[in-house]
Amino acid sequence: MQDLSIPIAAQISMQRLFIGYSISLVIGLLLGVLIDRIKYLDEALSPLLLGVQTLPSICWLPLAILWFGLGEESIIFVIAIGSIFSISMAVVSGIKHVPPLYIRAAKTMGAKGLRRYTSVVVPAALPSIISGMKQGWSFAWRALMAGELLTPTSGLGYVLVMGRDLHDMNQVVGIMIVIVIMGVVTDRLLFGRVEHAILCRWGLSKS
Amino acid sequence: MLEIVNVHKNFKTKNGVTNALQEVNLSVKNGDFVVLVGPSGCGKSTLLNIIAGLEKATSGQVSKSGRPILDAGPDRMVMFQEAALFPWLKVIDNVEYGMKIKGTGKRERREKAIHYLKMVHLTRFASAYPHELSVGMRQRVALARALSMDSDMLLMDEPFAALDSQTKSILHAELQQIWGATKKTIIFVTHNVEEAVLLADRVIVMTANPGRIKKEFRVQLARPRNIEDIDLTSTVGQILGELKEEVEKVAKAELDSDWSLENSSFISRPDTHLGNGI
Repeated sequence: MQDLSIPIAAQISMQRLFIGYSISLVIGLLLGVLIDRIKYLDEALSPLLLGVQTLPSICWLPLAILWFGLGEESIIFVIAIGSIFSISMAVVSGIKHVPPLYIRAAKTMGAKGLRRYTSVVVPAALPSIISGMKQGWSFAWRALMAGELLTPTSGLGYVLVMGRDLHDMNQVVGIMIVIVIMGVVTDRLLFGRVEHAILCRWGLSKS
Repeated sequence: MLEIVNVHKNFKTKNGVTNALQEVNLSVKNGDFVVLVGPSGCGKSTLLNIIAGLEKATSGQVSKSGRPILDAGPDRMVMFQEAALFPWLKVIDNVEYGMKIKGTGKRERREKAIHYLKMVHLTRFASAYPHELSVGMRQRVALARALSMDSDMLLMDEPFAALDSQTKSILHAELQQIWGATKKTIIFVTHNVEEAVLLADRVIVMTANPGRIKKEFRVQLARPRNIEDIDLTSTVGQILGELKEEVEKVAKAELDSDWSLENSSFISRPDTHLGNGI
């Protein structure tokens, strides 16, 4: 028997989201930096990324089920694939739009190579990277729900389907409200704050 | 000692090759204050960038103290038209940035940063972020940052062009003082002749299409100089005369063929209703 109580379902969902999002953060950031550093990768992958990103991540589910089976791994895969590309594209465009003046100033002060990269390029690109991460988070959240609706495992999405099967609309609407609240809370409290703090410090918005 | 020998610079554009610099020869002694003036497009900023190592000459040699300039380096600090401060760092950390890259110790770094912030009168704003400062204050921070590197050469690319005239004149006075106190070699680019004469020992007039050095004026007026000074004004007049031709040449290339300075400055239809309707 599955335990269908909301807190446990929410915990399971958050756990998946956390794992999937962490994977996509690591891969997305690395991929973004690699695409920026290696011109060949940029030319080869950039158009492809744009195309793949327009594909709703849930479309990966059939493949994921073939590869990983019905279960935890396929959901996590779908979450990760949903946000990797938006994160890496944000990294690439953030770095591309670093004002050349900063680079010139850093050059004349003798900053070279990795040092220049970490001390100037990355911080200058940070606001755009953070908004990419935020967008990635919301993609991941959607992918999670879709994945849970379609795979009979556990979590909030599954409880939602359960409610439908039992014609228990109270449960369906209740879960929907829980999903909305969780989404708003993470968006506002976590990303909203970080983004606001960075924009203020960078002087891009008024506090 | 900076030696520029036979420097050429070509840019490839859609319409072919543009000659930005042609046969430029210049030598600058240590402690000189050299100002490059000229019409827009005469390659003065390009020349400065080549000295800074931010751009490469197509041919010719640029060397400083006998060593050829191959890359940008902390021995030639550059001040740009914009302050180019890093918005994520506090003012004091911005000043310290270059020293940090150089590997100066933490304590010494802080002391020097405060010393140079004092020199530009901004110690009160040490822990502010750049976006909280006015444009003039940011330019002061950029100056402090440039000075803190202890480079013997300072390259300035129209650093005061974006400032209002009051702030500008204050900074002119301070730059003269700082130059006197630090004995740095300064190469300064501007299109403002008054500014050039006010600051320089040597004013280098450049021409456009192709960019080359036309004439050099030595300014031997007493310091601190004053913009209203009569000798200064007459030197400005001489240089402006030299430049007028150049400005006209550039304008002619850009405007319709019937344009000329003399015609255009004459008002062919004066106000005919003088006093009418009072």
